[in-house]
Amino acid sequence: MPQGDHIELHRKRYGYRPDYFERKRKKDAREVHKRAAFAQKALGIKGKMFAKKRYQEKATMKKTLAMHSERSNRHKADDQVQEGAVPAYLLDREQTARAKVLSNTIKQKRKEKAGKWDVPLPKVRPIAEDEMFRVIKSGKRKTKQWKRLVTKVTFVGPGFTRKPPKYERFIRPMALRFTKAHVTHPELKCTFNLEIIGVKKNPNGPMYTSMGVITRGSIIEVNVSELGLVTPAGKVVWGKYAQVTNNPENDGCINAVLLV
Amino acid sequence: MVLYNFKKITVVPSGKDFIDIILSRTQRQTPTVVHKGYAITRIRQFYMRKVKFTQSNFHEKLSTILEDFPRLDDIHPFYGDLMNVLYDKDHYKLALGQLHTARNLVEKISKDYVRLLKYGDSLYRCKQLKKAALGRMCTIMKRVSPSLAYLEQVRQHLSRLPSIDPNARTLLVCGYPNVGKSSFINKITRADVDVQPYAFTTKSLFVGHTDYKYLRWQVIDTPGILDHPLEDRNTIEMLSIMALVHLRAAVLFVMDLSGACGYTIQQQAALFQSIKPLFANKPLIIACNKTDLQPLESLPEEDRRLLDELAKEAAQSSSLMLVDGAQEAKECLLTMSTLTDEGVVAVKNSACERLLQHRVEVKMKSKKIKDVLNRMHVAFPRVRDHKERPPSIPEAVLAKMKQTEQPLTRKQTEKDLENANGGAGVYSASLVKHYLLADDDWKNDIVPEIMDGHNIADFIDPDILLRLDELEREEEEREAAAEGEDEEMDEDELGPEEMEALTAIRKKKKLLLEEHRRKKRAADNNPVVPRKFDKDQQFTAGRMGRHLASLGLDPSRALERARSRSASRRGRKRDRSAAGEDGDAMDIDQPNKRFRSTSRSKSRAPSETRPGEGYKDSAQKVKAMKIGKKAVRKRNKQARKGEADRTIVNLKPKHLFSGKRSSGKTDRR
Repeated sequence: MPQGDHIELHRKRYGYRPDYFERKRKKDAREVHKRAAFAQKALGIKGKMFAKKRYQEKATMKKTLAMHSERSNRHKADDQVQEGAVPAYLLDREQTARAKVLSNTIKQKRKEKAGKWDVPLPKVRPIAEDEMFRVIKSGKRKTKQWKRLVTKVTFVGPGFTRKPPKYERFIRPMALRFTKAHVTHPELKCTFNLEIIGVKKNPNGPMYTSMGVITRGSIIEVNVSELGLVTPAGKVVWGKYAQVTNNPENDGCINAVLLV
Repeated sequence: MVLYNFKKITVVPSGKDFIDIILSRTQRQTPTVVHKGYAITRIRQFYMRKVKFTQSNFHEKLSTILEDFPRLDDIHPFYGDLMNVLYDKDHYKLALGQLHTARNLVEKISKDYVRLLKYGDSLYRCKQLKKAALGRMCTIMKRVSPSLAYLEQVRQHLSRLPSIDPNARTLLVCGYPNVGKSSFINKITRADVDVQPYAFTTKSLFVGHTDYKYLRWQVIDTPGILDHPLEDRNTIEMLSIMALVHLRAAVLFVMDLSGACGYTIQQQAALFQSIKPLFANKPLIIACNKTDLQPLESLPEEDRRLLDELAKEAAQSSSLMLVDGAQEAKECLLTMSTLTDEGVVAVKNSACERLLQHRVEVKMKSKKIKDVLNRMHVAFPRVRDHKERPPSIPEAVLAKMKQTEQPLTRKQTEKDLENANGGAGVYSASLVKHYLLADDDWKNDIVPEIMDGHNIADFIDPDILLRLDELEREEEEREAAAEGEDEEMDEDELGPEEMEALTAIRKKKKLLLEEHRRKKRAADNNPVVPRKFDKDQQFTAGRMGRHLASLGLDPSRALERARSRSASRRGRKRDRSAAGEDGDAMDIDQPNKRFRSTSRSKSRAPSETRPGEGYKDSAQKVKAMKIGKKAVRKRNKQARKGEADRTIVNLKPKHLFSGKRSSGKTDRR
């Protein structure tokens, strides 16, 4: 007990106040009512927050109660025989589930064949041109309207050099250029922050693909050399495709799923 | 003087609270209403402001935390090492480092998202971006929440550390557990340290303050130390070691001669030997405690020798002056008993004395002393002749001084009386002794409290005689008044005229009374009688005229006024000239008023300023208002171009009037 803990020291020397426990009991008993009153009174965001908190508390409480009473609860008798179960006297016989194996391999093959174009996001919303581009007026009198500003996130390769700005038709703003993406490996269930190598395909059209526009559903190529993936032949894989799963222009980051 | 006050560190909220505080502040202190129809720049600006505001709040809060917590390299090494022992330096630095990184990350996120927001083209997109930005900031804060929790713990503990000034005059008490260190400190200070008969009662440093030679001394109680290598020492012991290492104090090594603490004198001597390096250059005193159990004189020979050896070493290690080895050693070994208070003060005094000497010596040796010594000069006047010049003291003063030299007879106090009459508990002081009464003999009279079933106090009135006097005077007055009242006139003695007047008065009185009663009965619910049925003819103009005439006033104007409504109008509809001829109209306080023309339409409001607010009349007020308006008007101090400056600089610009002109162009050639 360090110096200055006056309350503790006092308690150690003289004990608790005579009414301490009574007051504590009463306070605890009133606490419930106080909370209820608050829950009824609270408005707006505070009320919502409180309700959410209370809901969580109740849920955990229910779970713990259920856990404690699991043994005493009455359960339905689990009488169903599991599939493939055999009686004890047949246990040492070898069973051939060849049919199953066969069907599995066929399924696998079919999947592999189809898997090339099987992507997690098969359909995306088409994006109109006037949503994709903003018209920029140019010329001394601002009368010319042939310039376009890309309003979506783009990938611009490291070696890109601009055309003379006067003749540049499509402007890809610096603020909307991204070089990294958060890529999730669907089997490992982990996410890596990987560099983008290029845009393989934009579902909205080849022009966007060539411009490197990244929207939801675009296939991008990412640098997976950090992951240390190896081809069956033993080579290290460094480029792999991934599909973008979010709207990067709204979120400020690119989330993608690796296509395995 | 640097004060180490760690109580001022602001509370570190937990990660969740931190986020709540920041977000609610953003919600409260930035605008909340935005619509789709707003100009896109306005929408962008709205959301950018939110992001920036949140970031700046994060920055501010994190910065205060980072600034509040002391940097281990900056504070006194005593506190630095103390914090290292208590909270682990690496952990502490890591936590602060994490907050620092979090601050930078939040800043970076805000920059990025503000940049993205510049290209937001719809409210929805801007809103999403803002949401993402705030979300990412909060995630970062969520990640550092363990550090925040740790820092809060540190803050709470830090604020309860005793405030030890590492540079002040200090006595440091150390020794084996349970040898009486805390008892000693309780004796000489008011620290109120817990004392219990088991080892390691004191688990942290305790500070008390004491007084010696009118100086303030801090006394530090340390937890007990066991005799084992430094690596094996636990946190509690390390606190003592830290204090021993870093504080330049007088060390009191407390020993238990009786062995009641559970350690023999040999063991305690061994501890002394093992921590001896920590005593270097510090005044050291070996205080042998518990002499009530085991006096020093009756100690076995070998223990006695051990002690002497220790004392010698103590003298050696601490002394800079080396006066006399044996003498010094004797001074270093002191005995005390915290139970009987014997020798406690002597130990304190000698420790303080030694530390004072030591400090003075150190100061004398330092280079800085020269600066002070150079400035000091004690001047003595040169001897002029050999004449003696004693101070001159007046004869009267000398006489008085002589008088006071004689011992005064001391006033007898209650204490003396008590001692003379059997001491405390036997003697009871007389309460009645100092009563102020008219006669001293009454002092010891017995006054009964209750008499005949009555409380005497109820019947005692100190100024009863005064009251009685007053009452008597009142009675006399009343009697005198009663005599005068007796002579009332009889009706028979009245003359006929007087009689008439009396009847008139009585009649009038009766009428009034009757009227009053009627009114009261009706209780404000009188029927409203139309004027023409007014039987009493109370409200006729003639009656009013008569009444006014009887009062000596001229009723003609009033009558005219009263009739003006009902009588048909005569002559012109309006008077061309305004009123003013009427001599007996009331004087209105508007001497220079220009009356408004009667030809002006009545619908127009009179634009007249009312006098008031301290002005004499409306003219003065108008003037004041004019001056006021003029004073308020902004002057063109910067000499900007105004309307008056409109000019055509060049009536015939050369480029318009020289050279050829091609078709269609008139403004240039």
